[in-house]
Amino acid sequence: MESITTTFSRSAVRRVGNRFAPALIEALETLTRLAAFTLITLGTAWTRFGQNSRVIRPRIVDEIHRSGVRLLPIVGFLGAALGVVFVGQTIDLMQQVGASGFTGTLIVTVFIRELAPLTAGLVVLARVGTATVIELGTARALGEVEALEALGIDPIHYLVLPRVVGFTISVISLTVYLMLLTLGCGYLFAFARGLRETPGEFFGGIAAALSWIDFPLLALKTGGFGAIIGLVICYHGLARPLTLEEVGQATTRTVAQCVVACLLLDAVFILLYLIA
Amino acid sequence: MSDLPSIEMQDVRVVHPRNPGVTLIEEVGWVVRPGEFWVVAGLQGSGKTVLLETAAGLTPQGGGSVRLFGEEVQGGQRDEGEASGVRRRLGLLFDGNGRLFPSLNVFENIALPWCYHRNASLADAAEALAPLLEYLQLDRLLDQRPGRLGRAWARRVALGRALATGPELLLLDNPLSGLDMAHIRWWRTFLSDASRGHAALGGRPLTLIAASEELRPLLVPGRRFALAHNGRWRVLGSTEDVLSARGDDGVRELLGDND
Repeated sequence: MESITTTFSRSAVRRVGNRFAPALIEALETLTRLAAFTLITLGTAWTRFGQNSRVIRPRIVDEIHRSGVRLLPIVGFLGAALGVVFVGQTIDLMQQVGASGFTGTLIVTVFIRELAPLTAGLVVLARVGTATVIELGTARALGEVEALEALGIDPIHYLVLPRVVGFTISVISLTVYLMLLTLGCGYLFAFARGLRETPGEFFGGIAAALSWIDFPLLALKTGGFGAIIGLVICYHGLARPLTLEEVGQATTRTVAQCVVACLLLDAVFILLYLIA
Repeated sequence: MSDLPSIEMQDVRVVHPRNPGVTLIEEVGWVVRPGEFWVVAGLQGSGKTVLLETAAGLTPQGGGSVRLFGEEVQGGQRDEGEASGVRRRLGLLFDGNGRLFPSLNVFENIALPWCYHRNASLADAAEALAPLLEYLQLDRLLDQRPGRLGRAWARRVALGRALATGPELLLLDNPLSGLDMAHIRWWRTFLSDASRGHAALGGRPLTLIAASEELRPLLVPGRRFALAHNGRWRVLGSTEDVLSARGDDGVRELLGDND
């Protein structure tokens, strides 16, 4: 009986191993290559950031426009919706249960620290990130990267750096915009429903719930989301030669990996908040 | 002009860029001296394009050594300054539509390498590149996107981009394929101007290498010829040498004498 159980457990372990080991190895390989790509990009940023500025700076501005300014309407809509759905109802509920004093803490913990950066990052990923993978993947498949190299232009400097910098600045800016709009709309909704607090009292409560550490951590977190999204996108679009058929698959992989990477970074920041 | 060979390839194995296990051309031994005009002939799929990309240091070779202007290059490695400096001395015209950047217009495509390497604005480039643009007859197309251009004009834009930085060595992949007679005439004039030296092209004679599927349109005295045929590399020599090797299968096919 014991030997049957042992044989069964061994075969089960083997089956599980056979199924998950290749996926695990592939994930580790991807992680290693992504880390190498990140280091190369950081090296390029360190050594060449100020170089060729008349070509690179307009590209950064274009990226900020594409992944930031053009997303203002959709982020505005999301901000208004979140204001009504989350902030407005939270204020309402906290009043009903007589816990209005904790409204600021709840909004800071759930919305300002978590929901706003993730929402801004995911909007940038969905609206611009996917299109960028397709654009870069197609450029790679059609040999435009080799054309840049033939011209003595470093593709990391010309294609990757402006995108990573642009995405980083855009996610930071969109997060701030989303926060302000959500809180504003949330207050208006709650006011319309009979909230007795003045704007000064409401925003003062939120400011009191914020600590000084929130500002650098939020900047690092939102910037980190933008940088991760930019790096993963550029890695999948450019790091290896693609055929046109592979561009679609690369896009799907990019979205999944960006979401996982942002959530992992988020977990790291939760730990930092707990320590701080 | 330096006496160092512009390109020196020793026992180079030209391999498929996506599948390095597949050899396209064996044992390439080739020395291109400054001012020479070489025609590399071969049928479709013979590996001419990859040979040019290997010579330019863009595709890794399977073995052997490639020297560009005396400096050893290994394709496929990231550009870390020095390689970029060597590449700036050569221009490469890709096959077909020339791999133009679709998000940039014609002028931006041509001006990009000039602006990048000089850290200059497009306005500066417009002034500096005016003689070249006039020579290429591209003045009326400068605002167009590459996607709206026909193959002949797209290739001419790609030529402008390759020439913008004033290269010493110009590699041309199938420059005459798929062109009508008017464009072929223009290209023949350009090749002869570039080979002799022309004010709009920097004034000095360029070292030229043209890959081609046909020998006849490029069979002009003073040029040198090499053949990539059945995975083998052969330096044929001068125009007279090519004509005297008409009995050879590879040469006959490329001269169209089989018809």
